[in-house]
Amino acid sequence: MLELIARFLVIGALAFGGGQAALPLVERLAVADTGWLTPAQFATGVGLSYATPGPVLILAAFIGYHVAAVPGAVAATAAVFIIPVVLAGFTAQLVAKLKDARWFQAFGRFAAAAAVGLLGVTLLALARPVIDIHPVLLLGSVAVLAAELRGVHPIILIGAATLLGAVTGFYIL
Amino acid sequence: MVSLSCHRSCRAEALPPPDALIRSKSTATGRPCLLSLGWTLLCVGAVAFGGLGATLALLQRELVDRHGWLRSSDVTEALAYTKPLPGSTVMQVVTFLGWRMGGWPGAIVATIAFLVPALGLMTVAAAAVLALPDAPWVRGALTGLQVAVVGVLAAALWHLARSEAGSGLLLIVLLAAFAAGLFVNAALVVAAAGAIGVAVDRVKRDA
Repeated sequence: MLELIARFLVIGALAFGGGQAALPLVERLAVADTGWLTPAQFATGVGLSYATPGPVLILAAFIGYHVAAVPGAVAATAAVFIIPVVLAGFTAQLVAKLKDARWFQAFGRFAAAAAVGLLGVTLLALARPVIDIHPVLLLGSVAVLAAELRGVHPIILIGAATLLGAVTGFYIL
Repeated sequence: MVSLSCHRSCRAEALPPPDALIRSKSTATGRPCLLSLGWTLLCVGAVAFGGLGATLALLQRELVDRHGWLRSSDVTEALAYTKPLPGSTVMQVVTFLGWRMGGWPGAIVATIAFLVPALGLMTVAAAAVLALPDAPWVRGALTGLQVAVVGVLAAALWHLARSEAGSGLLLIVLLAAFAAGLFVNAALVVAAAGAIGVAVDRVKRDA
């Protein structure tokens, strides 16, 4: 539990570039480093975090629940948001200009670019179990990518794919 | 879309006297009481699907247009000031606006109220996923979900790369982080990249 909180505190403090850019940090932590979740479980969590309202990093609650049920969900959520939220509060209070500090801007720019690069690693980690089921399925991912870039909402795409999978599983498998 | 006409109790307190309203036309109007602030943010949190853009529009509609607790410029400033900070930008915008509406108590109430629906739904969803039977339709559904998530994350990678790696140098950082991330702890990669950014900035300034 303490490890859960400590790790999510670190994620919150390093989540430059926003919630989506922090997904690779979460994936490395929950899947690659600790094995708390399988890649497939993590992908399910990501899907749900897009499908629920609010910030994507509510994914922390999904992982926390897997590790330590409801207390884990609450603790992980609190941990991942506390540092960013306190920072935002202070920024509002001081109309503070941490964001105007040159070194801080430089840190944030590079850290955010690195986080996006790490998203590539996460993408590979999540694509692997899909390929293990059947490589042809990646065509579906490509179709989803194309649809998203043409403006179709992620929630619709995730919902449709889940439904299609359920129907296919029911009638064919 | 969704009506958020849920609060009644604090209306009198939320509205400033008429002449104050006229005088302060261009400035923010009344301050909400914590109860109506919390209730409004709870409602927004329950329907805030679709990420940062959609949530900003929702906050603008509820807090600025509907209740007049804030001005449009507050929302724009919230985004500008919190974007460079680490952490979920959606959440930070809510905290920032909460502070503008009611100081630290406002920030805390807004943050928790906004987060409660998501936390509740996600906890229920996580429990439901763990309780699913090992049936063909479940395996199919979860496979479909995984396939879609890979596509959606690929799209997120594309969008984020365009917004966060605007220069050749940052693109190199992105690619280097990808390569390093295959072997090194992710938190270390992000922290190291930030430190390199500071160093590069120093060198540039001295040059």
